[in-house]
Amino acid sequence: MGSGGSVGKEAGPLKTLLRQHTQSALEQREFPIFTLTCFPPGFLVHVGGVVSTRSVKLLDRIHNPDEPETRDAWWEEIRQEIKSHAKALGCHAVVGYSESTSICEEVCILSASGTAAMLNPRFMREGCLDIGGSDHRLSRQPHPGMVGSERGEGEVSSTWLGFEDASPPSCGFVHIPYDEFNMPFPAQLTYCYHCRRQKVPDVLFTTIDLPAEAEVTGKGCLIQARLCRTKKKAQGEVNATSISNLLPFMEYELHTQLMNKLKLRSMNALFGLRIQISVGENMLLGLASATGVYLSALPAPGGIQIAGKTPSDLSYDQHISTIQKRIDDTIAKNKELYNIHPPECIEEVVGSPIPDRQRSSRLFRSTSESSDELSELDLSHGKKDAFVLEIDDTDAVEDIQSLLTDAPIPAGFYSCNTEVMPGIHNWTSGLQMFTSVRVYRLSNANLTNQGLNKIFTDLCENLLKSLYFKLRSMIPCCLCHLNFTVAVPEEELIQVAVTAVAMSFDKETQQAADRALTRGSGENEEQLQFSMELCGESTISNNQPTAKPSGVPESAMVHSSRAPSVDYGSFADRCSTWLELLRLKAHTIRRGSVKTSRRTQLLAHSVSSSERCSPLPEGRSRSLRSTRSLPCGAPVTVVKMTPLSFLPGTRIVKYLGIINMFFIRETTSLREEGGVSGFLHSFIAEVFAMVRAHVAALGGNALVSYSMKECVFMENPNKNQAQCLINVSGDAVIFIRESDQEAIPPLLTSRQTSGTGADGTT
Amino acid sequence: MSVELDVFVVNTTIMDEEVYQLWLDGYTVNDAVKVRMEGGVWEGCEASAEVLHSDTMDQYRTFQMCERLLHSPVKLANQLLFQIPPHRQAMLIERYYAFDSVFVREVLGKKLSKGTKKDLDDVSAKTGVTLKSCRRQFDNFKRVFKVVEELKGPLVENIRQHFFLSDKLARDYAAIVFFANNRFETGKKKLHYLTFQDFAFCAGQLISNWTVGALDNMVEDMDVDLEKEFLQDLKELKILITDRDLLDQHKSLVCTALRGKTKAFNEMEANFKNLSRGLVNIAAKLTNTKEVRDFFIDLVEKFIEPCWSDKWTAGDMRLYLTHYTNSAHVLDTFKHQVVWDRYMGVIKSCILKMYHD
Repeated sequence: MGSGGSVGKEAGPLKTLLRQHTQSALEQREFPIFTLTCFPPGFLVHVGGVVSTRSVKLLDRIHNPDEPETRDAWWEEIRQEIKSHAKALGCHAVVGYSESTSICEEVCILSASGTAAMLNPRFMREGCLDIGGSDHRLSRQPHPGMVGSERGEGEVSSTWLGFEDASPPSCGFVHIPYDEFNMPFPAQLTYCYHCRRQKVPDVLFTTIDLPAEAEVTGKGCLIQARLCRTKKKAQGEVNATSISNLLPFMEYELHTQLMNKLKLRSMNALFGLRIQISVGENMLLGLASATGVYLSALPAPGGIQIAGKTPSDLSYDQHISTIQKRIDDTIAKNKELYNIHPPECIEEVVGSPIPDRQRSSRLFRSTSESSDELSELDLSHGKKDAFVLEIDDTDAVEDIQSLLTDAPIPAGFYSCNTEVMPGIHNWTSGLQMFTSVRVYRLSNANLTNQGLNKIFTDLCENLLKSLYFKLRSMIPCCLCHLNFTVAVPEEELIQVAVTAVAMSFDKETQQAADRALTRGSGENEEQLQFSMELCGESTISNNQPTAKPSGVPESAMVHSSRAPSVDYGSFADRCSTWLELLRLKAHTIRRGSVKTSRRTQLLAHSVSSSERCSPLPEGRSRSLRSTRSLPCGAPVTVVKMTPLSFLPGTRIVKYLGIINMFFIRETTSLREEGGVSGFLHSFIAEVFAMVRAHVAALGGNALVSYSMKECVFMENPNKNQAQCLINVSGDAVIFIRESDQEAIPPLLTSRQTSGTGADGTT
Repeated sequence: MSVELDVFVVNTTIMDEEVYQLWLDGYTVNDAVKVRMEGGVWEGCEASAEVLHSDTMDQYRTFQMCERLLHSPVKLANQLLFQIPPHRQAMLIERYYAFDSVFVREVLGKKLSKGTKKDLDDVSAKTGVTLKSCRRQFDNFKRVFKVVEELKGPLVENIRQHFFLSDKLARDYAAIVFFANNRFETGKKKLHYLTFQDFAFCAGQLISNWTVGALDNMVEDMDVDLEKEFLQDLKELKILITDRDLLDQHKSLVCTALRGKTKAFNEMEANFKNLSRGLVNIAAKLTNTKEVRDFFIDLVEKFIEPCWSDKWTAGDMRLYLTHYTNSAHVLDTFKHQVVWDRYMGVIKSCILKMYHD
C-alpha cells in the first residue's frame, strides 16, 4: 500500500554512494526497524510508503505454549517480511513501526505495519547524541530563537548532511526512493511541486507523524475507513483459512475507502495511518484511522467521478448526476473548510508506466472489472484526472452514500490522530484528556455485510459526534491523537475505546497567523516541537562545526572525531553506543539532579501550591475558637495528562520516569454499582486518579505520552458480575509555564545540569 | 443494535451547570433530555436525542459519584478521584446546598426527624418541588444541623467552614438550624405571608442578640439556644404594664413625641396600652419553651395585626417603635434599661421586617 518518490537519474554519484553505504549499514542489522514516529529534521531522507503484513496463526498449535520460541519465530517471520517489503520500495529501513495482535479463541491475527524509509546515515554514527543539548531532551517546544528561520536552517543542514545535491528538507522526504522505471506498483509520478527537481508520487500514505519540515497547505483532518465482514463460525484450520481469505479484501476495501475519503477532502497524503483488524467469532472488524493533509510538494488530487455501469434509462442518469453534484459540492465545501487553496500548477505527468487513459480509468472499486466499457467516458475532471467510482451494484451505491454521509465536523473543531494538527500553532493551555468506551450489542444475528458496515460506521460517527458535543465548551479546539481501538469481546458485541486530548487554541491570533504566514511556513513552530537530543548536534554544527559536544565522555569523543569520513560499522555497534551514551546521560542527569534536587522540589512545590485544588479561598481565617480542627491535609496537586509528548505553552524541565500500570477490577454487585456503565466509569476514573497520584508522588505535575494500551471488559449480567483489565502508561514529568521561565533558578537549566554531570563522570 | 455500555471519562471533570441543575431538581434522565432538547442545546451540530441521552447519563453518573463527597465538602477538596478546579468545586457545593424557598418555608421550624422526612411527599405535592429534590434539601438541613450541633463557636462561621458555603448561604443555614432547634412555629395560616428571608432575618437578629453566644462565644450551642438568664430578666419588664403610673407615663411620653408626626396618631394613642401589653407579655412568657415556639405568631397576633387594621404605614411603625423604645429610658422608676434595649432592639427590627405594607 502506498506510493512513493524516486531517486531520479540526476541523483549525483555521491548520493548513490551514500545510499549504498547507508544500506549496507542498515542491512547488516537484522531489523532496521524504528518504532519512533517523529524524527529530527533531516533524519528522513525519503519515505516510500506504508508496508504492512498480517499473519493468521493457531495458538493451540504451539507445542510448548509456555516457551516463547514459537511466537518469536512468528514475529521474526513478520519482521523479515516487513523488511523485504521496504526493500521492494527501495528503502532500507522502516519507521513508525508497530505490531499488534487480535485473538479470538485459538485464532490469532498478528499484524505489523510501518513506513518504508531511507534514513540519513549521519544519524547512524556515534557522537550524534549530543549530551550538551539535553535542553532539547527536556523540551520539545519551539525554541523562540529558531522559529521562522526554517529556510536558512534547511540550507545549512543539507550541507552538513554531506551531499551537495540533497533535496531541500521541506520536500526531500516525499521524493520517491525507488526506481521510477522499475516501480514496485503502478503510480503516477510528477516532478516535485516544491523543488521541481525530483519525482514525487500522487499520494503518500505513512504511519509516522507529519515531519516538522513538511510544507502543508491548509489544515488536516481525521480520516477513517470502517469495515465489517461477517464470517461463518468455524474452528481451527477452517476458521484460520476463512479469515486469511477475507483479509486481503478487507485491506483493499479499507484502502479504497481511505483513498476516496482523501480525495473527497481534496488532500493528498495520510499520516499516522493505523489499520486495526479485530477478529470475532462471526465477524471481522477493520478500522483505519489517519490524518489527511495536503502536502504542498505533491500534486493536487483529482476529483471523484461517478460512472454508471449501464447508462440505460433517464432516471438512472439523473440519479448519477445528482450524486456527482453532491460529491463535487462536498469537495468544494471541504476545500473551504480545510482552507486548501493551492496555487494552480501546470501538471507534468511523467514516468507513469501505465498509459494515461488506462491509468485514469483504473477503477477504485474492487468489484468492477469492466474497463472497456468505460473507455469512452470523459474521465477528465476539470484539469485533473478523476477517480472513477462505478456504481454497478448495491454495495457501491451504499459506499458512495456513506462517503457522503460522514457527518461534517462541527464548526470550531478540528481532529487528527497525529500529535498536532498542521496549520494550528497558538495553543492555549486549555487541555482535556479523555477516554470514552462504548460497547454495542448487535441485536439482529442475521446481518448482512452492508448492514454491519452501516452499524459500525454509525457507531464511530456517533461516538465522534458525542465527543464534539461534550467538548463544545472548548471551542475553538482540536482533538489530537484520536486513538480508536476496536474489539469484538463476545459474539454480537462491538467495543470501541477512544482516547484523545482536546486542546483549545486562540482563534484571534490563529487567524492573524493564517494571514501572515506564507504558504507552508506555518510548520516552522511544529518543526521544533521535536527537537530531540538526536539533533542536538545540528545546532552546534551549524554554528561551529568543530566544537566538541560538551559533556560527551572521552570514548564517544574519539569516535565522533573520526567524521567526516563516512564510516559505517555494524548498526548494532552504533546502537550499543547510543545506549551507552543514553545511560551515561541518564546518569549525568541523575548526578546533576542531586545538587539541584532541593530547587526542583521547591519548584514543584510552587507549581503545585499555585494550582492546588481547594475551594477554600486563600487567607480565609479558620475560626480561632473552633476546637475541632478540620481534616484538611496537604492540598491535592493538579496533574495534567495528555497522550501527546508535550504540553502547550509549557516547558518540561524534568522527566521523572515511566509509569506503566495494570489494573484489574471485578465486581459481584454490578447492578448496585450502576450497571456496566457505572462500573466502568468509576473504574476508569479511579485509574486516572491512581495515575495522577503516582505522578504527584514522584513530584511531577503532568503525565505525557499517556496511552491506554489495554481495556478488556467482560460481563455476566445474569450473575451480576463484571471484570475489567486496564493497562495504562506514560511519562511523569515536571513542567513549568513558558511565561514563568524567568523564574526558574538558573541551576535547573540544562547546561548547568550537564556541566555538573560531566564533572561527575570523569 | 443497542448501546450496552457507554462511558466518557475526563482527566479534569467537566460538569455542565445546566445538567447539574436538572439533576439537583430531581429530573430523571429522560425528562432532563427532553428539557435539554427543548432548550436548544448547541447549534454546532444537531444534538440528537441519542447524543444528549449519552451525555446526560454520563453527567448524572458523575454527579452520583460526587454526591457522597458533597455530603462532606471538606472531603471534596481533598479527594483524588475527580480532578475538579476549585471554582468548579465551589459551584458544585453552593448549588448542592442551595434550596427552594417554597420548600424551606414548609419545613422551617419543624423537627428534622424521620417523621418529617416521611411527610416530604406531601410537601413535594404542595410545593411542586420533586420528591428527590425535597429529600436532598431536607437531608442537607439535617446534615448541617447534626454537624454544627456539637461545635463551639459562632454558628455561621462553623457552617461556612465545614461546608464551604458562601456567607449568604451559611447565614440561611444558620437560620434553618436555629429554627429547627427552637422549633419556632411558622406554619400557622397567619404566618403564611412571611417569606423565608423574613424569618432568616429575624433568626439572625435573635442569634446575634438573644443567644448565649451574644455574650460569650466559647460555649457549646452558643448560637442555637436563647440565653436563659436573659429570658428570666425579661420577666422584670412586666412592671411596664403592671404599674399603672409607669404605663401612663410611658404612654404620655410616646404620644407627646408622636403628636403631629403621623396620620395614625389617634389610633396609636387609643391602642397604646394594648400594644404595649402585647409586647411586654411576649417578653414575660419567653421563659416557657412552649411559648418561645409561638414567638412569631404572638408578634403577629398581638402587635402586627392590630396595626394593620389601623392602617399604619411602615414609616408609622418605625416611628412608633423608636419612640416606644426610647421613652422607656426616661422613666425614672424603670430600672431595667439594659434588658429593655436588648429585647426591644430585636423586637423592633423583627417587626419592621415582618410588617409588610
